[in-house]
Amino acid sequence: MDFSFTKKEEAFREELRTWLETHLPAGWLEGNRQLPEDLNEYSAFLRNWQRKLYEGGWAAIAWPEKYGGRNATLMEEIIYQQEMVRVKAPPLVNYVGIHMVAPTLMQIGTEAQKEAYIHKILTGEEVWCQGYSEPNAGSDLTAIQTTAIKDGDKWVINGQKVWTSFGHLADRCFLLARTSKGEKKHKGITVFLLDMDQPGVETRPIIQMDGKHDFNEVYLTDAIAYDADIVGEVDEGWRVMIALLMHERTGIGGQVFTLEQQFADLVVLTKELQEDGRPLLKQPFVRKTMVDLYARTRGSLLNYYRNLTKTLKNGQPGAEGSMDKLIVSELTKDLFAQSISMQGHRGLLWQEDAIYGDSYWQENYLYSFGMTIGGGTSEVQRNTIAERILGLPKDMGR
Amino acid sequence: MDFSLSEEQEMFGNYVRKYLADKGETKIAREFIKGNTEHYQSIFSGLVELGCTAINVPEEHGGMGLGALDLVPVLEEMGRNVLPGLYVETNAFAVPILEKFGTEEQKQKYLPGIAEGSQTFSIAWLEPGGSYKPSDIRMTAKIEGEDILLNGTKSLVPDARLASSLIVPVRTAGEEGKTGISLVILDLSDQTQLRGQKNIDESRHLAELTLEDIRIDKGQLLGPLHQGWEVLEEGLLAANAALVSIMVGGMDKVVEMAAEYAKIRVQFGQPIGRFQAIKHRIADMKVELETARSLAYYANWALETEAEDRVQAIFSARLFAAEAFNRAAGHNVQIHGGIGFTEEIDCHLFVKRARFYENYLGSSYDYYQKAASALGW
Ligand SMILES: Cc1cc2nc3c(=O)[nH]c(=O)nc-3n(C[C@H](O)[C@H](O)[C@H](O)COP(=O)(O)OP(=O)(O)OC[C@H]3O[C@@H](n4cnc5c(N)ncnc54)[C@H](O)[C@@H]3O)c2cc1C
Ligand SMILES: Cc1cc2nc3c(=O)[nH]c(=O)nc-3n(C[C@H](O)[C@H](O)[C@H](O)COP(=O)(O)OP(=O)(O)OC[C@H]3O[C@@H](n4cnc5c(N)ncnc54)[C@H](O)[C@@H]3O)c2cc1C
Repeated sequence: MDFSFTKKEEAFREELRTWLETHLPAGWLEGNRQLPEDLNEYSAFLRNWQRKLYEGGWAAIAWPEKYGGRNATLMEEIIYQQEMVRVKAPPLVNYVGIHMVAPTLMQIGTEAQKEAYIHKILTGEEVWCQGYSEPNAGSDLTAIQTTAIKDGDKWVINGQKVWTSFGHLADRCFLLARTSKGEKKHKGITVFLLDMDQPGVETRPIIQMDGKHDFNEVYLTDAIAYDADIVGEVDEGWRVMIALLMHERTGIGGQVFTLEQQFADLVVLTKELQEDGRPLLKQPFVRKTMVDLYARTRGSLLNYYRNLTKTLKNGQPGAEGSMDKLIVSELTKDLFAQSISMQGHRGLLWQEDAIYGDSYWQENYLYSFGMTIGGGTSEVQRNTIAERILGLPKDMGR
Repeated sequence: MDFSLSEEQEMFGNYVRKYLADKGETKIAREFIKGNTEHYQSIFSGLVELGCTAINVPEEHGGMGLGALDLVPVLEEMGRNVLPGLYVETNAFAVPILEKFGTEEQKQKYLPGIAEGSQTFSIAWLEPGGSYKPSDIRMTAKIEGEDILLNGTKSLVPDARLASSLIVPVRTAGEEGKTGISLVILDLSDQTQLRGQKNIDESRHLAELTLEDIRIDKGQLLGPLHQGWEVLEEGLLAANAALVSIMVGGMDKVVEMAAEYAKIRVQFGQPIGRFQAIKHRIADMKVELETARSLAYYANWALETEAEDRVQAIFSARLFAAEAFNRAAGHNVQIHGGIGFTEEIDCHLFVKRARFYENYLGSSYDYYQKAASALGW
């Protein structure tokens, strides 16, 4: 058992820290972290940040060097996430491009695809979105109804995607469409690299319950893709998706480290909040709740480290990632619910009327409800844990 | 970064698992419940032969000189089998405080015996009607020349009949506070007055101990006079770290039982493990188990390396594990349906043991406050 980092790892951390100190947007480290409201400015801001990361060699550290990465070790990726969380760095607008599309193309893409897309993903010149979910297919992606029909070297695509994060900013989409109806439902799905900038693609905003607009509906009406835009084989998209999961070797690291930080913020809040002239944190009832949350927060981090150790030893992530996802998303919800509840009735006040921290608590509270849905719902994680780790019988209908 | 037990530690755990499986797992506890203590003693001798009792005893006193983390796999196996006995009290409480606070004579007298299995310890802390608080330590110890004269009653003393000695917090001065409490080691004999107390966890025996003008040698004082509370608290760190791993072991078995039963029990034409009311509950139990295990590893690591956050790490782990173990043990009964409610199936053994630990060696309320203080809150 050893929690220390090697000299090389520490040096890596130092290098990144130094870089961040000089390259984060002006005032960022001092707490001026507001993102622009206006969509175009927002988009420009995030793309600009990614461009800076690219120029510093920090946009896609896990990629091989020949594609502009650093061939980073798993531990370096972890350190990278820790440091990004520590400075509350702006979000990576091209997350889907860097962590999903490019690694997949490197593994199974054609030379032309690699040539066309990988570099532009790295620089932030082309932003990608993920077009999986549909109105009738969420947890069960085998039920997708978007169709792609071959017409010469073209594919004509019709259907609707939904909850497409960053779809309104994206230039291209990593899209799942049905190309044939097979015996087995997961057969006959194909992955396309779709150009979002064409008449057949219409993006409409969806406003989330936190008042924000991160995800969208995407309507596909005779949208066009070409043979050259297919990843892997026609009808074999499911395999592409499985291969893709294997690249997610850091799992939910970023969220674990964020949670640690949010818990520390909660402690500060419970010290600031007063009841009868004393910090709320002095009340036995609150102390119990906070010690419980402390144990669960530590537990989620330590579980993550234990699973990471397994990944380091086995070379690839196992089903334990489902446990991490379930634990962290559920705990985040509980943590923010607690933060609101402890502020009393005033906890309802938000935006410019929030009593603490610029609406931080209210916004994160509302946002937290999406965490147990996006990226696989808690119920789906429980199925995975029960079936793949404990060997319980599969769900009915599957 | 390597957050896992070492291969040697895993291997040692496997030896213990095989040994206890050979001996019938929970049959050991069931024999003990029936009153067959010799059977338990013979199993214990086997564990001694495997080296379990020598692990953390210093080499110069006949042990292996290993640390808290090396106890973890053994503790988990004991927990899995609701094993009776005083392993935690002896190896995870008495050993560390003897090592740190004992005189050379005390070390010579007790440590080699612990390593070879002839010496066991229990803890006589609570008194009738009292709590774990310093103000409730009323048993008196008067220093008279070279003797200590003991008077008073201790209650809920665990497995005194299996113990060769007790560690006893007694009052040597003052009335209420921590100062004035000292620890003494009381060697037991057949003459010691014990009255058995019936408790729901029959795999652990409790007794009331009455001492009337009992004289022991002054050399039996453990740690500094009047400052015994600090010694006790130090010992509680190690004891609690060990308790977490025992509870993890118990939970491990409970989750295994629930999952295995859910695979084979068919109702409505389906294994009940297909119903998500059962399946998801078991998944949640598994998640809590693994969280408790991670906390247990860290708690023992923090103890062994004297990490800065060891107090909060150990106490919060204990609190989490005790709650999770009680919850999981209860769910396990429910998942087994009618048979889960019977004496015949093991479910109830874990329910009872989980409850035994909830307020053992300190109430959860106290530990919440202690963990919060350690966090600087
Ligand atoms: C913040 C956020 C961002 C997202 N970003 C994207 C994106 O970029 N691209 C994209 O394609 N999608 C995205 N999604 C969509 C997300 O992947 C889906 O919402 C998710 O997979 C659930 O699908 P659904 O919404 O259709 O719910 P459903 O699958 O209809 O589920 C409804 C309820 O039924 C439960 N349920 C379903 N199946 C089972 C089962 N077998 N057993 C037990 N319970 C079950 C679910 O757990 C849930 O509680 C995002 C979602 C969120 C919240
Ligand atoms: C105190 C006591 C007294 C009793 N007295 C009598 C009596 O006098 N006469 C008599 O005939 N019986 C009696 N019973 C038996 C009792 O009716 C059964 O135990 C009960 O119906 C459950 O059946 P089971 O034990 O076979 O459990 P199972 O049906 O095998 O259930 C095992 C587990 O699976 C769950 N489960 C089963 N089906 C589903 C489902 N569809 N969805 C989700 N979960 C499911 C159950 O809730 C339970 O958690 C008694 C039981 C007890 C505990």
